Amino acid sequence: MSDGNGIRKLESVVRLKKTMGDYFTRLRQAAESPGRRVAWCSSVGPVELLYAMDFEVYFPENHAAMIGVSKKAAEYIPITNAYGYSPDVCSYLTSDIGAFLKQQTPLAKMGLESVPKPDVLVYNTNQCREVADWFNFYAKHFNVPIMGISTPLNVAEVSQSLVRYISLQFQELVPKLEPVTAEKFDPDKFKNTVRLSKETCALWRKVLATAKHHPSPINFFDACIHMGPIVVMRGTRYALDYYKVLLAELETRIKNNAAAVASEKYRLYWEGMPIWFKLSTMAKLFDRLQTCIAASTYCSSWIFDDLDPENPFDSSALAYTKLFIVRSENVKQKILEKHLQEFSIDGIIYHDAKTCPRNSNNQHGLQVRLYEKTDVPYLEIDGDFNDSRCYSEEQSVIAIETFIDQLAMRK
Amino acid sequence: MHRIGLDLGTSYSKGVLVTSDNRIAAYLAVKTGYDFKSAAKKIIDFLSEKNEIEYPIYSCGYGREQIDGAYLANSEITALARAVFAKYQQALEVIDIGGQDTKYIRISATGRVEKFKLNRKCAAGTGAFLEEIAFRLDIVPEKFDELAGQATESIKLNSYCTVFAVSEILGLIKQGISLPNIILGIYNSIIKRCEEMAPLQNALVLTGGIPDKHAKIVQLFKEIYPGTTSPDLSQFLAAYGCVLLNKKQVYCK
Repeated sequence: MSDGNGIRKLESVVRLKKTMGDYFTRLRQAAESPGRRVAWCSSVGPVELLYAMDFEVYFPENHAAMIGVSKKAAEYIPITNAYGYSPDVCSYLTSDIGAFLKQQTPLAKMGLESVPKPDVLVYNTNQCREVADWFNFYAKHFNVPIMGISTPLNVAEVSQSLVRYISLQFQELVPKLEPVTAEKFDPDKFKNTVRLSKETCALWRKVLATAKHHPSPINFFDACIHMGPIVVMRGTRYALDYYKVLLAELETRIKNNAAAVASEKYRLYWEGMPIWFKLSTMAKLFDRLQTCIAASTYCSSWIFDDLDPENPFDSSALAYTKLFIVRSENVKQKILEKHLQEFSIDGIIYHDAKTCPRNSNNQHGLQVRLYEKTDVPYLEIDGDFNDSRCYSEEQSVIAIETFIDQLAMRK
Repeated sequence: MHRIGLDLGTSYSKGVLVTSDNRIAAYLAVKTGYDFKSAAKKIIDFLSEKNEIEYPIYSCGYGREQIDGAYLANSEITALARAVFAKYQQALEVIDIGGQDTKYIRISATGRVEKFKLNRKCAAGTGAFLEEIAFRLDIVPEKFDELAGQATESIKLNSYCTVFAVSEILGLIKQGISLPNIILGIYNSIIKRCEEMAPLQNALVLTGGIPDKHAKIVQLFKEIYPGTTSPDLSQFLAAYGCVLLNKKQVYCK
């Protein structure tokens, strides 16, 4: 299926919509049912534990990304700025809280009048401290318990002592969560969600790895949409079942040599967050430039190979600390080097997201060191994932086009 | 038959008439205003008045698709790099200071663009910055060179932001700092903004409306980087480069 611009839409998108639609229905039902409990969780938080304890799990980051895609963030961010949050802090936080203050939500399309009221909020600071600030706003508003795992930053080696420290924090969540669910923690259930999560991650890894094929059957913009289930439903059958379908379609594409970008000539790596409010514009731009963004740090961030159902607490601690965003510059560079090689990358785009330094890896010279090591050229573009005030489309388009000219001169 | 190259920029639109042996036969710059198409037409009409021209029009710049009739659009950075390399035929670095943006381009000994960078989101260090300051101080920008020449020492401007820089300048005026010293400081701040873009080497080519209209800035660059040159009519080079590129490089809208 082509939209006429050379972009082939994945047919699995129909199944994706149903999978995500069903997820939001379960959330709505849980929010409406007095006997059910809703936990809010950060995107790389302890979701397996929450599903094992029979929570329906809602992700404010997923909600904020939906606000970004719906191009409504510019309406909401100023409300939060006026409330007292700086325009320089995470625009997920500011757009999500702004929407809440304005009593609007993109979930209305899914049949939810508002975000589902939390019974508890659970975060992990492995990605950033802002999730804690963000969740605290809601904990205060709803007067519900908030708890989290504190993970150090800039980790060079994930040592045993560090894993023990984080694992203990995972374990300490259990007695705090039990009173919220009014049920006893069942270790076997936890083992099962960890097993499902591990199997789903393995499938997601395979999905992304299909992009090693030339031409790639999937690109960054597809992956940004199809990552929904791995973010919000890992640890459940629903996500696992979905990625079986998606992977089968991509494998068929490979067999038929069907490309995501019909005339793929250049292969890029995207470092940093997506620009949600320009996702489809960007997809069309790169398609015109015969360029497939074959791999990204962002979409690869939901692969947790180290989960082990037989050792669920320690392995969760290990998996959620080994994450790219937690690591030191040297470790990050090695991970990127591997990606560049495995996906045969011609160039890298660093999206310098003005409200997320943690996800902007061109701020401490990594881009220069990686270039010196690999000779893969790079481009830095200023922007943001949700705050369109930080982004100049004209300047970025010219820069991207010139970058492809630059790559063409090297071929 | 002659060809026309157009660089439709945010402040000025520049056009060149190029002969079949790639010489510039005529040129014109007009203020872009709000209507790229009308600016393009003005230039095309002027350049084709006495000469027969062939289509397409070769274009670049923000308004590169805003042309009535057949055109072939390219990136102004690629076009500028081509023109500068055609002129110097060596490895070099280009700093282009235009109305709304400043660009850095590093070109290899074989003419390849090795690296380029655009200024960050703020206008400080661009033509818009000088225009804003001229407006605030109620001086025409054409007077800046003469004033900077009378300076006894340069003040240092700290602010990134044009609005903050203007407040800073007003503060300096209140302190009794002389206007020439302030203007020299403004020029030096433009150089600082350029130096922040990349570690500059010596073979530096300055292009764009600002070096063309403010020779003192070129001189100040030369004091720091003695190998600096700025060719005549450098603001027309991107338009000329479009013609030299001759074909679409990558697919532009």
